[in-house]
Amino acid sequence: MKLVKILLMTMLVTVIGFESQAQEKLTGQQIIENVYYRETGNDATSDLTMTLINSRGSERVREIKQFSKDYGKEEKSIMFFLSPADVRNTSFMNWSYDQAGRDDDQWIYLPALKKVKRISSDSKSDYFMGSDFTYDDLGDRHPSEDTHKLLREEKLNGEDCYVVESIPKEKGYMYSRTVTWVIKDKWIGMKKEFYDEDGDHLKTLSVEKYDKIDGYWVILHSEMHNVQKDHRTIMNLKNVQINIGIDDGMFTERMMKRGL
Amino acid sequence: MKCPKNKHLIWSAAALVMILIVTAFFFDRMVENSRMETDLDEYMPYDHPAFIFSDQAEDMFNIKDGILIAVENKGGIYNPATLKKIKDLTRALQQMKEIHKDDVTSLYTAENIVGTEEGLDVKDFYSSIPKTEDALQKLRDDVRNNEMVYKRLVSENEEITLIVAEIADDVFTIEFYHEILDLAKSYEGPEILHVAGVPIVEGTLAYLAPKDMMIMVPIVIAVIILVLYFVMRSVRNTIFTLLVVLFSTIWAFGLMAVFGIPIYSVSTMIPVMLIAIGVADGIHLYSHLDLFLFEHPNANKIDAVKDMIKGMWKPIAMTSVTTAIGFISLLTSDVYPIKYFGVFTAFGVMMAMVFSLVLIPAAIIVFGLPRRKAHKEKSKEESGELAYKFADGAVKFKALVISVTAIIIVASIIGINEVWINSSFLDKFEKDSDIVLTDAFINQHFGGTNTINVILDSEEYDKFKDPDVQRLIDKMQSDVESIDVVGNSFSLADYLKRMNKVMHADDEAYNIIPGSHDLIAQYLLLYEMSGDPENLWKVVDYDYKQANVNVQLKSDNSKEINRAIEILEKYRSEFSDLGVNLNYAGSGYKALIFSDLILEGQIKSLLISLLLIIILLSLMFRKLSIGFIGSIPIVITAAISFGLMGLLDIPLSTTTALISSIAVGIGIDYAVHFIERYKIYALESGDKSLTIKETMHHSGRAISFNAMVVIAGFLVLLFSVFPPNRSLGALVSLNMFTSFLGTVTIMFLVLYKSNVYFKKKNSAKHKDGNN
Repeated sequence: MKLVKILLMTMLVTVIGFESQAQEKLTGQQIIENVYYRETGNDATSDLTMTLINSRGSERVREIKQFSKDYGKEEKSIMFFLSPADVRNTSFMNWSYDQAGRDDDQWIYLPALKKVKRISSDSKSDYFMGSDFTYDDLGDRHPSEDTHKLLREEKLNGEDCYVVESIPKEKGYMYSRTVTWVIKDKWIGMKKEFYDEDGDHLKTLSVEKYDKIDGYWVILHSEMHNVQKDHRTIMNLKNVQINIGIDDGMFTERMMKRGL
Repeated sequence: MKCPKNKHLIWSAAALVMILIVTAFFFDRMVENSRMETDLDEYMPYDHPAFIFSDQAEDMFNIKDGILIAVENKGGIYNPATLKKIKDLTRALQQMKEIHKDDVTSLYTAENIVGTEEGLDVKDFYSSIPKTEDALQKLRDDVRNNEMVYKRLVSENEEITLIVAEIADDVFTIEFYHEILDLAKSYEGPEILHVAGVPIVEGTLAYLAPKDMMIMVPIVIAVIILVLYFVMRSVRNTIFTLLVVLFSTIWAFGLMAVFGIPIYSVSTMIPVMLIAIGVADGIHLYSHLDLFLFEHPNANKIDAVKDMIKGMWKPIAMTSVTTAIGFISLLTSDVYPIKYFGVFTAFGVMMAMVFSLVLIPAAIIVFGLPRRKAHKEKSKEESGELAYKFADGAVKFKALVISVTAIIIVASIIGINEVWINSSFLDKFEKDSDIVLTDAFINQHFGGTNTINVILDSEEYDKFKDPDVQRLIDKMQSDVESIDVVGNSFSLADYLKRMNKVMHADDEAYNIIPGSHDLIAQYLLLYEMSGDPENLWKVVDYDYKQANVNVQLKSDNSKEINRAIEILEKYRSEFSDLGVNLNYAGSGYKALIFSDLILEGQIKSLLISLLLIIILLSLMFRKLSIGFIGSIPIVITAAISFGLMGLLDIPLSTTTALISSIAVGIGIDYAVHFIERYKIYALESGDKSLTIKETMHHSGRAISFNAMVVIAGFLVLLFSVFPPNRSLGALVSLNMFTSFLGTVTIMFLVLYKSNVYFKKKNSAKHKDGNN
C-alpha cells in the first residue's frame, strides 16, 4: 500500500511537472492575458489605505472604503473617503468599459459643494488620485494594446516567474515599454518596471503581499516607486470580502451623496 | 675697492636669479592649477540666514532660474507648423542632459483646467498636432479662456509663445549656453526665436566680460608702459617698475593656485590694485635716484643705490605694511571671495615691496645706472619750478582749498547715504545690445523675465487650506501686480480661484477663493485626481505648511526689485496675525542680499582699516597728529568715490564697490611718502617755506607721476565695449586723481598749518600770520 502511495505521488509530481513544462511554452501575449483575465470574483469590498510619500519623506495618508462590481462588459466601482477629515464623505465613482476606445465615466461628489460633478479624463494615463498609479497601472490596460514578448523565466522572491516585455502599439504613449514579472500559476504580476517615452526608467511596482481570499488571489500590499521623482505610493488593502452580493444601487449618484 | 663691488654684484645677481626661480615656480602653479569660478552660487555666504532659508525653499519648491525661448510667428502661432515646432523644441529641451524633463513648460506641456457643463476637466492643450481649422480654433479658445496660460505662455496678440526650461544653478556652462542658442537657431524660419532669461544673461556676461578684457588689458598695459617711459625717460626703469607689478601679481595668483583657491570675478581686481599700488614703489625709488644723481652727477652706482635705499626703505615699508593691513581688514567681510581678495592683494602688496627694495637696487647694480637723457636736466628744472609754484599757490589759496574740500566732504556725506549696489546683470549690457532688447521684447508681451519668490510658512498643518490665508495671498498678489515692474504673480490661490470658477460653470463671480477649508481641501483632492499633482508642489508643500508665491518681474534692477519688496513687506504683519511668516527666496533675491552684504562689508572694512591706519601712522611717526593727517587722502578719496556715485545716482556693482579699496592703498602711499619727505626736509632745514617746496618737488613729483601713469592706463578702459569695464576704468582713474589731489592740496595744507616737525612753534606761527 505504502509503495502504491509513493508511486502515485511520484506520478502526480511528474504530471504536474510535465504540465508546468507545457505552460512554459506560453507566449508573452498569453501570459499577460492570463493576468488580465485572472478571476477576481463578481464583486468585492475592502478598506484601502493609500500612503503617499515624497522625496523628503513627508507622508500623506488617505483611508478609503471601496466597492466594486463586475457586470461583464462593464465594471463599476465607488469609493468613499474616510480620512483626512477635511475630505471625509467625498466620494468617487468610476464606470469602465470593455469596449476598446471607450473612456471611463467618472463622477465626484464634494460634500462642501453638495454637488456631484462629472470629471472626464482624457486618457487612462492619468494618475489615480495623486498617486504614482495611473488607471492603466491599476489593471485597466487591455492586453491587446501592447505587443508582448516573453524574455526569460527566473525566480523572484522565491517564486518562479515569467519575465514579459510589453511595448505599446500606440505611438506617444506615456511608457515606451514595461517589463513584468508574472508568478507562474498564480498569474499575479509581482514586479513591474516602467520606462518613459525616452526609454528612461520611470517607475517600479512591487507587490509585497498577496493572499488567496474566498478562493481568489488578491494583492494586499503593493508599492509604486517613481524613481525619477523619488515619490512613492503604498496601497494597503484590509477587510477584503469577495462575492458578497453588492446591490446595484450602490453605484449611483444618490449613493455618492448619501455616503456610508 | 674692487672686492666689495664684486660682492655687491654677486649678491645682486643671486637675488635676481632667486626671484626669477620663485616667480617661475608660481607662474607654473598659476598656469597649471588656476581655474575660474563662474558659478555665482560659489560666492554666496552659505551660513547667512537669508541664504540658508532661500536654499531650503528653492529645494522644497524646485525653484530654479528659467531659460526663456520665445517663438514668434508674425502670422500667429495657431498653425500646424508652428505648433509642431513648439512640440519638437519642447521635446528637444526635455532630452538635454542638463534639463530635467518636468522642468520644461510650454503650450505643449501645460495643462488646461476647464469647466464643462457637468464638472471639471484637466487636459492637455494639445498632444498630437491640431490640423483642422476647427481644432486650431478650439485651441485658440482654450488658451484665451485660461488666465493661467493666456498672457503667461501665449502673448495677447497670439503671435508669440514661450517655452520655459528651468535649470539648476550648477549645470550651466559656456558650452551649454552655446548649445541652447544653436538649438533655438535651428528652429528659426519663418518663426523668429528669442532666447532670454536669467541663465542666458549670466551666460552672456560670463562669455563677453573676459573676451573684452582680453582685448583691453594689453592696451592698458601698453599705455602704462608708454606713460611710465614718458615720466621716467628710461627703458630699463620702465621695465623694472613693471616687473615689480608683474611679479607680485604672479606671486599672488601663484599662491592662490598653491592653496587651491579658484579665481573669482572679484579676483580680477587684484592686478588692478597691484598695478595702481605697485608702480608707486618703483616710481618713488627711481624718482629719488634721479634727484640724487641730479645733485651728485658723478656718484657711482653703489653710492647711488645706498642713498636710494637709505632714503626710501622706510616710506616704502611703511606704505606697504599699512596698505597690506588695510586690505587684510577685508577679512571682516561675510563673502569668501572678498576675504581672498583682501588677503592675496595684501600678499601682493608686500611682495611688491620686497621686489622694489631688492629687484630694483639689484638691477641697478647688475645692469648699471639708468642712462640719462640729454634734455633731462632742463625738464627737471621745469618740474622743480612747477612744484615750487604749486606749493606756494596751495598755501596762497588755502581758504579756497579748504572751503572747496569742505563742500566736497559735505556733498559726499549726503551722497554716501544714496549709494546703492545694483545686482542687476542686465544693466551691465549696452541699452541697445541684443540681450537687453530680447529681454525687453519678452517683458513687453509676458509677465517678466525675472522672479522673486515669496515664501510663506507656518507651524500649523493645512494652514494653506485656510481661506483667510488664501484671500490675503490673493490680495497681496493683486496689490504687487499693480506696479509696473511686476507683470504677473502665481500661487496656490490662482489654482483655487480657477477651480472654483470652473466648478461653477465658468461663472466669473466665482473667480474668488473658495469659502471654506473643506471646500479648498476637496478642490485640491479633485485637482490631484484630474491633473498632475506635481504642479501643486511648486506652490505649496506636502503638509500645506509652506507656500510659494511667484512674483514675476520685468527687471532685475535692485531698485525695481526693492519696490516690489516694499509692497510685499506691507503684508508681513497681516500674515503674522494669521500665524504665517513671510520670507523671500530665489536667485534674484539672493543677489540683492549679496550686494547689500558687499556694500556693508566694504564700508565696514574701510572704517576698520582707517582706524588701523591712524594707529599705525601714529606709531610709525610717533605722533598722533600725523595719524590723522595721514588719513586725510583716504577719507577724501573714499568719500568722493562713494559720494559722487550716490549724488549722480550711479549704482555700484559687486566688483566696482571694491575699487574704493584703492583709496586705502593709494591714499596711504601718497600720504606716507609725502609726510616722510616733509619730516626729513623739516628736520634738515628747519625752514618751513623751503620744506614745502622741496617736499612738493620730491614727493609731489613722484605722486603725480604715479597718478598719471595709472590714470592714463585705466582711462583706456573707457573705450571698452563692455559697460562694467568702462565704469572700472572711470572709477580707478577717479580714485587715483582724488587721492593725488587730496594729498597735495588739503593734506599738504593741514600738514603745513599743524606745524609738526617745527620746534619753534611761536616763530612759525608768527611767520604764518605774516603770509
